[in-house]
Amino acid sequence: MKDKHIITMLPDYLDNQLDPVQKEAVDKHLETCNNCQKELEAYKRLFDAINKEKKEEVPDRLQLNFEAMLEEEKAKTIKVVPITANNNSKTKASLPYMLKIAAGFALLIASFFLGKYQNEQVSNQTLAQMENEQREIRQMAMLSLMENKSASKRIQGVNYIEELAMPNEIIVKALAERMLYDENTNVRLTAVEALGAFTNSKTVVNAFVTALGIEKDPGIQIVIIHTLVQLQEKKAIAPLQKLLEEEETQPFIKAQIESLLPKIS
Amino acid sequence: MQEVAQGNLDMLRPLFNRHHKHLYNFVLKMCGDSMLSEDITQDVFYKILKYRASYNNGKFVSWMFTIARNSIATHFKSNKERHADLEQVEHQLANKQIEEKQDYSDLQRALNRLDPSDRELVILNRYQGIKYEEIALITDSTPGAVKTKMSRALKKLKALYFQN
Repeated sequence: MKDKHIITMLPDYLDNQLDPVQKEAVDKHLETCNNCQKELEAYKRLFDAINKEKKEEVPDRLQLNFEAMLEEEKAKTIKVVPITANNNSKTKASLPYMLKIAAGFALLIASFFLGKYQNEQVSNQTLAQMENEQREIRQMAMLSLMENKSASKRIQGVNYIEELAMPNEIIVKALAERMLYDENTNVRLTAVEALGAFTNSKTVVNAFVTALGIEKDPGIQIVIIHTLVQLQEKKAIAPLQKLLEEEETQPFIKAQIESLLPKIS
Repeated sequence: MQEVAQGNLDMLRPLFNRHHKHLYNFVLKMCGDSMLSEDITQDVFYKILKYRASYNNGKFVSWMFTIARNSIATHFKSNKERHADLEQVEHQLANKQIEEKQDYSDLQRALNRLDPSDRELVILNRYQGIKYEEIALITDSTPGAVKTKMSRALKKLKALYFQN
């Protein structure tokens, strides 16, 4: 047996790890081989040195840390156990947490929208209030303009009706008054045209009928007649016939009345 | 360990008591840094606890050393900026220790000058008394290869030890 092969077996020889056959072979070789004896001696010293090496003392805190870690893990496990016992599924175990989180989010979103809704309500209220105020201001402006001495200002006031979507009784009455009694023809005409948009109001219709009786301007008469004929207003028949009889009524007005009167009845 | 894997965590305590000193000494011999050895020992038991479910009924010590090896490797990998690699660290360590002769024995110095893989084998086998078969499991090798490598490592160590 070659030295090289024996040398590799020396550590195991020292450890008593060789099988009897190998051991015998090494023993036999060692008897004759000086070199291998030296090697064996060297290994012996090396192993002795290794065995003499003191084990380093382990710091106590390693033990303490371990205990702390173990307790922590146990605490975690205890929490998990009853849930896993339910169905042994990790996803199911985490479901309650998911629900909690989801509930948290739902609460957050709900309160956000609630706050938003309340805010909107408040702002809607203020907006409505502002609109109301604006309306009142316009109405006042309109009314005061219609009382103005200047005819053009009064026309302007009457035309304000376009900006008031839903004129109230006060406005309608004021307009009717303009239509009936304003000294200026143009103001009256504008008022007639303005009121023409609100013929579904009884006050307006009655005002037209009244106006028919007292209006002297042929241009305005024509507009009123046409409006009332369109409405098929029976109350207009009497004033129209009266107009036909009156001498001062213009001939073309009479002609208009004669042609339109049959349409009402 | 089987019981620990099944949730009886208290069963880890005797295992810790029995093995943590060996583990600590193994890491200390490997890296020469007592603080780091403490950390790694701690980390190994933390991992054992955390991954107890993946315990495959092998020998606990083998499993423990496998985890320890990975922890050491991970540690030196993640500190690559500071230490180019494990071997270089060990080289620096060895030089440093030569300067501080009093602190280390001749044996430790010789050991430090071995390749990390050789040193690992020597420590596991000669210091921890772990058999070739188990070392093969730990290092993901075969008993035959371990045996061959071991005899070479011992030869190198012997040479280094008697050099001084």
